[in-house]
Amino acid sequence: MISTVEKTYREDGTWGNVYKVTYSDGVYYLVPHNEENRHYQEILEWVAEGNTITDNGGGE
Amino acid sequence: MALSKIQAESMNLADTYAFTGTVSGTPTAPAFKNIIINGDMSIAQRGTSVSGLTNTSSQYLIDRFKWYEGGAPTFQFTMSQDTDVPTGQGFAKSIKLDCTTAQGSLGAGDQNILWQRIEGQNLQQLKYGTSSAESLTLSFWVKSSKTGTYIAELYQPDGSRGISKAYTISASNTWEKKTITYAGDTSGTINNDNGAGLDIYFFLSAGSNFQSGTLATSWQSYSVGDEAVGQVNLADSTANNWWITGIQLEVGTSASDFEFLPYDVNLRRCQRYFQETQIGIYFDVVSGRNYGTNSNFHTQMRTTPSVISSTTIDNNNRFNSGAINGSPFLSTHGILAHKGAILTSDAGYYQTLVRVDAEL
Repeated sequence: MISTVEKTYREDGTWGNVYKVTYSDGVYYLVPHNEENRHYQEILEWVAEGNTITDNGGGE
Repeated sequence: MALSKIQAESMNLADTYAFTGTVSGTPTAPAFKNIIINGDMSIAQRGTSVSGLTNTSSQYLIDRFKWYEGGAPTFQFTMSQDTDVPTGQGFAKSIKLDCTTAQGSLGAGDQNILWQRIEGQNLQQLKYGTSSAESLTLSFWVKSSKTGTYIAELYQPDGSRGISKAYTISASNTWEKKTITYAGDTSGTINNDNGAGLDIYFFLSAGSNFQSGTLATSWQSYSVGDEAVGQVNLADSTANNWWITGIQLEVGTSASDFEFLPYDVNLRRCQRYFQETQIGIYFDVVSGRNYGTNSNFHTQMRTTPSVISSTTIDNNNRFNSGAINGSPFLSTHGILAHKGAILTSDAGYYQTLVRVDAEL
């Protein structure tokens, strides 16, 4: 079960189309923005349930 | 049959020659006839045991085989790669599912399944959706302390169609070989792509939602109530165990001998969906700079994979999962990991194992 989803940024402040997905057991995955990826499909379902992806920006 | 030597100078290529006699011998089975990958359970890249499988968790352990449970069950299982196998069949490993927390009464939506998803582009030979659709035969070895009726279902995600067949475990704690044939689906749809084309579900428990209708023994539009009619509840006692190995799904109406593949071939096929790769780098440091390194995957993956929390093997614990949490550059071919804003004290050797997942 997904606990949080966060956009991750590179050192130059750009978003690399990758999310950090943390599950309830503490395991996390770095998940590409790719509809063929099963973890990204889980993100879409998680968002459809009313959850929100955290976006703290690139900090540049 | 006798075959006499033909004198080349005596043949006239403009003439027609007839062959008479009988061809004898056993036809060679086609390579990779088994649609299932890792059906002998020999590859287990993730580990050999996982316990506490609980509600809503989805777990892969033995390569390509996924544990799934739905609903809100309270039962728990341990899944492991086991050496309990049918005698004299050539198998060395099996999947064992051990009920560790029992649930005698299932909720209507409770279920658990062991499944494998198969890519659509590996299934075009089935010719589903045409009048030439091919039959499939599933064979496997199974053993359980819980006798009774079990369900093995084929499901097409693209067309949302399913077919379910029952098999019976007759004797407690005894390996039994099961063979099930499924008709070809002349109305089916399997897209020619890298998505899920066919799922095979081995039901272990199924609440009333999955047993309210009539078992779908012919292909039909998916109907939840027709999926698992008659399925026993493997979760009703902590004394229950269930093993399976030698899973083969092949074109045709009969089962042939299991197709054993060399270990390296089997591993490479699994690595399209999951693999562990090594990243290593050595550098001197200018404080505040960024460093990165690339690792090519052992084989091209099905799609751009996810990166799982990495395993650090650097003694100084400097190139750990944090080294690639910025936002790695990922493709089906490899990963470019980087470590940003390093300190002078970070100089040295860095090495880590990274697990990537492109399962269906």
